[in-house]
Formats: sequence, structure tokens, C-alpha cells
Amino acid sequence: MEIERNSGLKQTVTTILLVIFTLFCVFPFFWMILTSIKSRVDVIDPSVWIFKPTLDNYVRIFEKRNLLFNIMNSLIVVGGTTVISLVLGTLAAYGFARFQFKRKEDLAFWILSLRMLPPMAVVISFFVLGRLLHLLDTHIYLVIIYLSFNVPFTIWMMRGFIEDIPLEIEESAWLDGCSRYRGFFSVVFPLISPGLIATAIFCIIQSWNEFSLAFFLTTFNAKTIPTIVTAFLSVTGVLWGEMAAVGIVAIAPIIIFAFLVQKNLVRGMTFGAIKG
Amino acid sequence: MKKIPQQYVFILPAIVVLVLVVIFPTIFLYYISMTNYDLSLGWQVKKFVWFDNYRYLFFEDPLFWKSFLITVIFVLSTVSCEIVLGMVIALGLNKLQKGRRLLMSLIIIPMVCTPSIIALMWKLMLNTEYGVANFLLNLIRIPNVNWLSVNLALPSVIMIDIWEWTPFMVLMLFAALQSLPMEPFEAARVDGASKMQTFFYITLPMMMKLALIAVTLRLVDSFKIFDIIYGLTQGGPGSATEVFSMRIFRIGFQHTNWIGRASAYAVVILVVLSPLFSRFTKLVKENR
Repeated sequence: MEIERNSGLKQTVTTILLVIFTLFCVFPFFWMILTSIKSRVDVIDPSVWIFKPTLDNYVRIFEKRNLLFNIMNSLIVVGGTTVISLVLGTLAAYGFARFQFKRKEDLAFWILSLRMLPPMAVVISFFVLGRLLHLLDTHIYLVIIYLSFNVPFTIWMMRGFIEDIPLEIEESAWLDGCSRYRGFFSVVFPLISPGLIATAIFCIIQSWNEFSLAFFLTTFNAKTIPTIVTAFLSVTGVLWGEMAAVGIVAIAPIIIFAFLVQKNLVRGMTFGAIKG
Repeated sequence: MKKIPQQYVFILPAIVVLVLVVIFPTIFLYYISMTNYDLSLGWQVKKFVWFDNYRYLFFEDPLFWKSFLITVIFVLSTVSCEIVLGMVIALGLNKLQKGRRLLMSLIIIPMVCTPSIIALMWKLMLNTEYGVANFLLNLIRIPNVNWLSVNLALPSVIMIDIWEWTPFMVLMLFAALQSLPMEPFEAARVDGASKMQTFFYITLPMMMKLALIAVTLRLVDSFKIFDIIYGLTQGGPGSATEVFSMRIFRIGFQHTNWIGRASAYAVVILVVLSPLFSRFTKLVKENR
């Protein structure tokens, strides 16, 4: 009996501590929502928690700041790099999953280590090259550069998903006269599409959030969402509401995407290294 | 004519792209780090100076060692707090009977939020006069804290990193806990092992591999930190939060235009991190 009571109490304490931790995790996001619908006066008064909400900040960021322009830039860059990465990465992943060749694992693990390369290590080269080739502040340049982390990521994620599919299914297609390539497109491809979608979402999240490279390599024309923080760095208190509204517009879709891939999150955060 | 082996048809396009966007820029970086290239002077007038930039970093740059120290403090304190806190939360979640999924969904929010934007949000929350952090502290009778002052800016940045990345540790360690087999625990109970003994002799060793992978990943990522610090303090006040990446930005782009020297900094980052890269790949290899 005593053990029972004890574990009931423990369960309650554990729950309370976990809830406190969770509140700490979500509070900044909650506060951002609150700030984004506050009026200019209320924004700088942290004691105001209940008030009449206003959408002024949202109207202003789209009308005065032309946020749509930056959103478009982000969409172009994210879309471009995701599509190219998926094509190149999935093909390579198939090669790694289904063929044996010399030094295969060495090559695969070299690719894995690329994913950890600090952006600061490559950004200077890209900046200097971009200056010499007049590619700075263009969408295509960011699309290409983002391949440096998205392609290794896709290769490792997709390799795992392809290896999950039994080889026999493919072999029976070959027996029916399919070529290797047709087998890949008509048999393997449909089966890996859930994995492909999960991988795409991860590419989208990490490219959308990317700051360092975009910050150094764009100035105006290709400025993506994360880099518009620079516009708010020297502000006085009045503009916090607009900043919070920008934040919500930028972050809300990403959180929804993250919920969609929650099942694959461990796999994604470790580049498919751990199947979780 | 010999046909190209099929595997290369699949792999080669990706390899070519990676050579172009990773290998080539890295080699180019080593080259720039041995020139005195200055943005304000232009590419044509630069000279090859061998290791002069490195000599400057190690022996003349007043901020190199300070920045190195700040980075090391940042990395060690964030990662150690994150692993301990992450372990506690993961163990708690594992014990929880109801609501795990909901809590987990909410806990992952910090690590997917756009870091540069969330940094600004923290800047507002930590504002001395109208920040909500001090407001909440005042409620429990703690006087205003000057979060972004010279002495507290680094701890504040560390706190935000812990906020952002402890969820990652929770996620990884919780996954590890969930994958543990039952048998050893039953055996330990039959043998009368205490809870502490079970944890230190069974749970921990069995989670070790995954935990090490998580820690290695965090060490590398923490070392690269830039976005949060840029949004929050831009390396300031003074050079209080000037980690390596920030130093690269300041020396190469903001305060001076010494791209050559900034590149030398970047090479130092690569050299410091490369043992971790190989450690990580080795761990993953063992885990496959």
C-alpha cells in the first residue's frame, strides 16, 4: 500500500516539474504571440497580459515593411534548394543503399561529416567568390550554397529509408524485365515517398531557418526572412510589436512542419544516423 | 567503350556538387587565409603572406585568446547543462504515465524556431525596464537584473542556448530510454539493486552510445553559434560575447575588413572541430 501512495505522489511531482519545464520551453513563443497582438503602448508594459487584441502590427509589416518580398525570397531559395537536394540526394542514397563498391563506407561517412561543417568556415570563400563572380545577393547563389548542407543530409536520410525497403521487392521487378532505372522509379520511388516527404520537410525547416550564410551573402534583393532581424537591431521600444508579428509569420509554419515530422525527428536531427 | 558502372550514375552527380560547394570553398579558404586580402582594397592588390595571419592571431591579436576562452566557456557550459537537464527531463518523461506525447510536442518548439528571430524575442524579454523576465522576477521580490550587461551577457546567451537545445537532448535521450530492453532491469530488481545502482550500472551504460552522439553533435553546433548571439548582443557589450564566429564577422566585415585574418580564424575553427567530426562518424559507424 505504501509503495502505491508513494508512487502516486511521485507521479504528481514529476508531472508538475515537467509541466514547468514545458512552460519554460513555450513561454518565449507565447510571449511573441502576445506581443504581436498588443498595441504600441502595451508592448512596453510587461504587466499587461489581458488586453484588447489588435492586428495593427500584422497590417504594418505587410504594408510598410513589405514582408511579402522577403517571404518570396525565402520561398524561392528554400524551394529551389530542397528540390535539387532531393533529386541529387535520393539518387546518391540509392547508390549507397543498393550497390557495393570500393571504399563505399569511407565515402558515405565523409559525406556525413560534411553535414557538420560550420557555415563560418565556408562563408568567407563564398563571399569572396560571389564578389568576384557578381553572384552576391542572388537567389541562385543561396540555392547552390544551401546544397552544401542539404545534399549530405538528404543522402543520409534517404539511404536509411531505402535500406528499410526489402531488396526482394525490387528483384522481382527486375525478373519481370524492369531495368535498374525503371525499377527505381516504378517500384522503389512510391515506397520511399513518405520518407521523401519527411526529408523534404527537414530540408525546408533548416533552409528556412538558416541565418549565417544568408546574412553574409545577401544585402537586399535576395534577403531571406531570418536576416530581416538586422532591420530591428537598432530600434527603440515602439517597434517590438512589428518584430513579434514578423516572428510569428516566420515561425508558425515551421512549427506546423515540425509537428508533421515529429515521428522522424530523432532520425532527422542526427541526419538519419539513428533511426529512432 | 566501357560502360560506366551503374553505381556511379547514381552517386556521381551529388559528389560533383559536393566537391564544388564544399571541397573547393574549403581549399579556397586555406588560400585566402594566407593572403592579406582586405575588402576595402580589392582582390588585385592582395599579396601572398604565407602564415603571417596565423602569427598575427596567435601572438598579436589582443582578442584571439579572449575569444577562444569565451567560446570554450560557452561550449562547455551549454553542453554540460543541456545533457544533465536533458537527462533529468527524459527520465521524468519516461516515468510519466499520461500526456507524454503532448508535452513532447511542446518541448520541441524551441529547437525548430528560427534562431535569429527568437534571439530578438529574448532581447525584448530580457530588457531591463520593460522585459517580462524582470517583471516575473519582481513578482517573487527579486530586484531588476541587468541581463545584457558586461558581466551577465555571456550567461544570458548561455541560458538561451540551453533553452533552445535542451529539448534536443530530451528528444535524443528519451528515444534512447524507450529503446532499452526490459530484461536487464528485471534481473537487477530480482538481484535487489537499488535505484541508483540500476541507473548508474544499467541505464547509463546502455544509453551511452546515443548520448555520446548527441553530445558530439551539440559540441560542434555550440562551437559554431552565431545567429543567437548576433540577434541578442552582436558580440557585445564590448567583446563580452565575442565567440569565434562573431570574431570572424567583426574582424572580416564589421570593424575591419581583414578577410585574410578572418579566414585564418575560420581555419582555426575547422582544425579545432575536425577531431569531433571524426569522433562523430566513428560513433555513428559503431551504432549502425
